[in-house]
Amino acid sequence: MIRLIDNTLTSLDHNLPDKEELHSFCELLFAIGVDAIELSIPVYQQMGYLPEGQKYILNINFPEEKEKNPGFYRYVSRYEDSSDKFIYEIQMNDTREIVRLRTHQNCKEIRIVGLDDLICYDSYERILREMIHAMPNGSIILCPENTYYCASALAIQWASDFGGDITTSFAACKNNAATEEVIMALRLAIRHKPNRNLAVLPQLVRLYEKFTNKPIGNKKPIVGKHIFKVEAGIHVDGIKKNPATYEAYAPSIVGGTMEVVIGKHSGSKAVKLKLEELGYPIPSDQIIDKILKKVKSFCTEHGRSLYVQELAVMIKEVADYEADEVYR
Amino acid sequence: MKQTKYIVDTTLRDGEQSPGIALRAEDKLKIAQLLDEIGVYEIEAGIPVLSEVEEESIKNIINHCHKSKISVWSRMDVHDVRKSVACKPDIIHIGAPVSYVQIYSKLKKNKSWVMKNIMECIEVAKSHNVEVTVGLEDASRSDIGFILSMIKELQRLGVTTIRVADTVGTLTPFRTKELIETIKMNTDLKIEMHVHNDLGMAIANSIIGAKAGADYIDCTLFGIGERTGNCNFYDFIHACESVFQFSMNKKQVRYVEQMVCKELENAI
Repeated sequence: MIRLIDNTLTSLDHNLPDKEELHSFCELLFAIGVDAIELSIPVYQQMGYLPEGQKYILNINFPEEKEKNPGFYRYVSRYEDSSDKFIYEIQMNDTREIVRLRTHQNCKEIRIVGLDDLICYDSYERILREMIHAMPNGSIILCPENTYYCASALAIQWASDFGGDITTSFAACKNNAATEEVIMALRLAIRHKPNRNLAVLPQLVRLYEKFTNKPIGNKKPIVGKHIFKVEAGIHVDGIKKNPATYEAYAPSIVGGTMEVVIGKHSGSKAVKLKLEELGYPIPSDQIIDKILKKVKSFCTEHGRSLYVQELAVMIKEVADYEADEVYR
Repeated sequence: MKQTKYIVDTTLRDGEQSPGIALRAEDKLKIAQLLDEIGVYEIEAGIPVLSEVEEESIKNIINHCHKSKISVWSRMDVHDVRKSVACKPDIIHIGAPVSYVQIYSKLKKNKSWVMKNIMECIEVAKSHNVEVTVGLEDASRSDIGFILSMIKELQRLGVTTIRVADTVGTLTPFRTKELIETIKMNTDLKIEMHVHNDLGMAIANSIIGAKAGADYIDCTLFGIGERTGNCNFYDFIHACESVFQFSMNKKQVRYVEQMVCKELENAI
């Protein structure tokens, strides 16, 4: 069974969010399908208590911290401990280090952090299998790092093909796989937790941006603000006929909406659709063509797509000109 | 020895389709010349049928770039192909939808129609002695049997390269490997990987595709493109220059990015 651990809340110690927001963030992470949330001690202290019925993991540095903070589902640290409920974390930057696993046979669970370039190896699937065989009595949690932007792919493969546990962070903020990418990919590839409510993702984004004071990139997979904007005529036409033609999943699943942008690559169907959306009457095809010509020339000259107000002005100009022509 | 792989840069075509930007002819020429200088194998310069300005811009790129092959993108439509031929590019790339959702929902046609149409388009292009590559659009959601039967026909008509397009970006590493290996097992055609980043896996899938036998990898500067974008040129080279040989190194790609960040900033 796949177990997804999110460790975003181990990265906020320098600027702790308030208690209620931390609790909301955790609730939302569980809502989208995270199985366990990893906290730092300062974040745990800020939260004040652990909500019942969910799995929390505490990231600790010293053995005595485990005794001082009872009640967690697991504890994770970089010192070795073979007791139950303990995850021993090791950094691995080279696949040759996998032999090290044999020296930790007593551990119940080991988290491997690193292996950024694993996907480049010809034999990377064999290496993943070797990792499992090296720990016959324990389990491995993979936390691939994202230096080469391959962490989500590796996490998916580990989870779906090897049934392994993974550690991720929201928007890949801890330079590991992105929680939201892994959840969506597992949902699409193997229908893992297909009923989870991903429509709360915009709420998670708002909290995350507030916590970190860093905006998420506009094109960031799953959560970017511009990822459902469509301009190319061929795509607008396709989506209008059947959204599945150019959408991997319906935007509404992740709380987004498709938006038609008018620009250099728009076609007449996109212009008609936009006019409909704005509540304008649809003119003849001849007038649409004239508007489109004007749009393309304006956008090429200005190096960008059109704002809605600019489109409205353009429509009026073309319509006025056409009226003049008729009465001349 | 490292295997050599070739970069097809589609910043000026798929990249420019990113909502928000519209490149002027001089911007396109500047970007193309920089890509030409660093040894990009093929520059997909645009879509001639888009407008007369675009057509002229493409012709200008063809006249000024001498190292890279210049290709143009065309829908699977004889009129569009004729427009493309008129630009005298090195390569015409024709996009052929192959998934059922694209064929039956978007085109509202059937597989026979697709086969017939792509054959006509290739014949028109070939009659002008232009190299043709065919893009299997939405290949990642297609019936492999249909893909293989189409490939057989393409090979018969002298097509030597096919583009495997993950149009909606849903490929995973396992599926990528399976798809490319299956195609490689059944054909001698060269394969070009064209992936999107909807699940954050464009770099990984491009690497897996290249390892499975794809010779050409489609990239864009800054990874710009529809929705979440395409395979990021710099990140791809950075991730796998230790295993593959390219004509350029990541520093050169970074230099090009620095030179054109103003022109592309609305798409980033």
